[in-house]
Amino acid sequence: MKKTRYLLILLGLFQAANVFAQTRFVKDTLDASGDSVVVTATRTERKLSNLTVPVTIINAKTIQQNGSLRLTDILKEQTGINLTSGFGAGIQLQGLNPDYTIILINGEPLVGRTAGVLDLNRIALGNIKKIEIVKGPSSSLYGSEAMAGVINIITDATMGSPLTIGLRYGTYNTVDANLETKFQTKNFQYQGFINSYNTDGYSIRPNSNSRVRTPIERYSTTQQFKWELSSKTNFVLNTRYTNEQIQNEIAVSNNGVTIYSIGKENIKDLNASASLNHRFSNHLKTSLRTYTTTYDAVQNLLTINGLPYRDVLNHNFKRIENQTDWDLNKKIQAVFGIGAVWEGVKSSRYDSEKLRKQNDIQYAFTQWEWKASEKFTLIGGVRFDKNTQFASAYSPKLSMLYKLNPQHQFRLSIGQGFKAPDFRQLFLDFTNAAAGSYSVFGSAQAQQVIARLNALGQIGNLFPNYNLLKALKPEYSNGMHFTWDWKINPSSALSLQLFRNDIKNLIESQQVGTYISGAQIFSYLNIGRAFTTGFEVEGQHRFNANWSINGGYQYLRTGDKDQIAAIKSGTVYSKNSQGYSRLMKLNEYVGLPNTSTHKLQVKLNYNSPKGHYLNVRAIYRSRWAVNNNNGNEVFDNGDVFASGYVAINSAAGKSFKNGVSIQGGIDNITNYIDAANLPNLPGRTFYTSIKYELQRKNKIK
Amino acid sequence: MMSKIAMGLGLSIALIACTKDEETIVVPVSAITVKDLAADTVTGLGLDGRPQSAGTTTYYSLVDNKIIASSDAASTKWDIAFSSTKITVNCGTSGPGIGGAFVFKGLFDDLKTLPVDSTFATDNSNAASFAIPLGSGRAWYTYDGLTTLVSPIAGRVLVIRTATGKFAKIEIISYYKGGVTLPASASVNDKLFKQRYYTFRYAYQPNGSKTF
Repeated sequence: MKKTRYLLILLGLFQAANVFAQTRFVKDTLDASGDSVVVTATRTERKLSNLTVPVTIINAKTIQQNGSLRLTDILKEQTGINLTSGFGAGIQLQGLNPDYTIILINGEPLVGRTAGVLDLNRIALGNIKKIEIVKGPSSSLYGSEAMAGVINIITDATMGSPLTIGLRYGTYNTVDANLETKFQTKNFQYQGFINSYNTDGYSIRPNSNSRVRTPIERYSTTQQFKWELSSKTNFVLNTRYTNEQIQNEIAVSNNGVTIYSIGKENIKDLNASASLNHRFSNHLKTSLRTYTTTYDAVQNLLTINGLPYRDVLNHNFKRIENQTDWDLNKKIQAVFGIGAVWEGVKSSRYDSEKLRKQNDIQYAFTQWEWKASEKFTLIGGVRFDKNTQFASAYSPKLSMLYKLNPQHQFRLSIGQGFKAPDFRQLFLDFTNAAAGSYSVFGSAQAQQVIARLNALGQIGNLFPNYNLLKALKPEYSNGMHFTWDWKINPSSALSLQLFRNDIKNLIESQQVGTYISGAQIFSYLNIGRAFTTGFEVEGQHRFNANWSINGGYQYLRTGDKDQIAAIKSGTVYSKNSQGYSRLMKLNEYVGLPNTSTHKLQVKLNYNSPKGHYLNVRAIYRSRWAVNNNNGNEVFDNGDVFASGYVAINSAAGKSFKNGVSIQGGIDNITNYIDAANLPNLPGRTFYTSIKYELQRKNKIK
Repeated sequence: MMSKIAMGLGLSIALIACTKDEETIVVPVSAITVKDLAADTVTGLGLDGRPQSAGTTTYYSLVDNKIIASSDAASTKWDIAFSSTKITVNCGTSGPGIGGAFVFKGLFDDLKTLPVDSTFATDNSNAASFAIPLGSGRAWYTYDGLTTLVSPIAGRVLVIRTATGKFAKIEIISYYKGGVTLPASASVNDKLFKQRYYTFRYAYQPNGSKTF
């Protein structure tokens, strides 16, 4: 029924649209083009070739030709990025967990992390102009979470067709429908986008003998309004709303006994931002931005036997910010920013789901860019964040660009990033009645809660680290990135990037005491130290007007510094093949879990002037440690690994002159499945899509 | 089935071979490996998804290296008892003996003399506290919810005071039939029915000293 309706709407629009149909020239933009304008790296508009930090741009055409629907689809095909599973699909950037990358939509942060992970399947790509990825600590501009980098998703009202409509159908009855409208007058621009995504889902889990359906229904809509109030002033309003329903009917059989349960999940995500921008002169402009977002998630799990489980999370975030850009002279440009954040969470995981936990932040930042010569640019910046619930943070950053000649460019950036303790680490109030009655208390209230229990005579022992609980500090990373870009000739380019991140104050749970019964009490403390380091190589080559290839490789080493110290001091043990304990050697250490030493992806691309295209993308990821099976809490060769794998995706399509384009694709052609470790990778899936873009008669510049 | 392998001579030689610089004269105590000791093995899967079993306890004498009938549970004939992942010693609320235990972090072979300040804990089931603490990651094993496997922790030695006040040391090798922890990829059936079979090695010092 639903599908028929989509089709009818589509057909009707084709008819209407044909009237306006007009010849269109498809312009092929190379990814490497230094003329692309980037905003994320400096919070000001800069040409890619003038940036001092490494930035990757993914443009709309790449997204479209790859057949990417959700943000995760395109990110997993980028150098240095791996998808993580568990609490939704997050991304790991240069070996750092999802908590350490800030995700922005038009410069405003997304909230609603579960255990530190933002589920990036939430974000539909239908109306995206481009995605900018900045690697390396960027807290000097963006504050908390921008430790590994920044991913900024940019939608844009200004260009494109007044009406775009797309429909895609694929394996597991996956239907994705898009409608995008753009409207423009002299002083006003509007972009509206609606996406609906429905899927029956899939089950690749073992032991599920009856078909397990995971129907997902997602709706999202974004609206952008832009008014030119005068030649110097404009006002922009953005809204985004996502509603997601997931229903999981689980039937698991073990030895003839089947257990049924129903899980229902509803997520609502609403963001709205407004900005007033004014240009005083060609040298001075300012913008006042406000942003508010609410993330609401409710999970209910009903099992045939056992208690129902309910989990509620409500996260809201409000921000007001002013940014002023001032060009002092031709060589020096400055940015000043000041802002305040009110952030609150209500959750059943804390002491009461009715009580809001609140953290307020005030911050200020500045950045100075000095264009010393045509060849050399230096940027320095610093940000200060003052928090009510935990210690303040300074985030400095220094970066530079040296253009040796048109062929060779060198970039170096050194910066400090931080991640604020999250609400779970501050406010969690959890007691597990089943497994030994242990408790976990967030550090902001652990002393209070434990003191109360102590007064009731329930506390057996308190460890010395109990006294450290008061002031949790943010996690810090010091990152260094060196990049060498080499334009070999007009059709080939190569880039090399070396990176290292040193992280300290990692927040981990640690036992702080015991109950009278001996059951453990945990809280969160700044205890861990870790590093990630490695290099990335990216290259592209155009064989001729039609064929091109590009690819990237990342070599990654990671480690927990305290574990390495423990191994060196001879206090870490492992097991031999017979099960006898022995001392562990340093060369057996494999680093942090879920990190792969090698990641490689290659994309072969064909584009014809007539609008045909074909691409084949292969992604390889080497093994990664998932579980410790000898209890030494350190990952070594004897532990459980997910096997390395290759996934091959392909898409082909054609754009017709009348604005219609069609596409067909196959993902995971070799049907690689690893149910336990890659739940986000279904087996081989097929899809086909059709899209229509109404042609504008006169392009308004 | 349970089999016992006494490898006293072999292990003593291995022990000496491994010793590099320490020249202390050790009264040779033979290390004994007990294989596949059944401890409340699984009979099926319950409706709640948990393994079902009869709830039995296997009593063991380290002195005599043999299973003791459960009818002798209230005697000092046994030193240590196993029931799924729970290990108790003959003392306190578990038995009439003067046993006790503590968990030593280190290698079995390296524990030649018990530290002078060793304190032995006793079982007190009323307060849910045991000389060998229950639970994953606490005494001798970790349980992984994802693989549903119980793995002995590397570098943990259970130091036991027997029912009659002598000393022994134990290293748990495996919780699965066959003496090797199952791989993560093992079948659900194997994980269910091959668990609760202890393989461990131990050394018992009959002369009452704290030296092995």
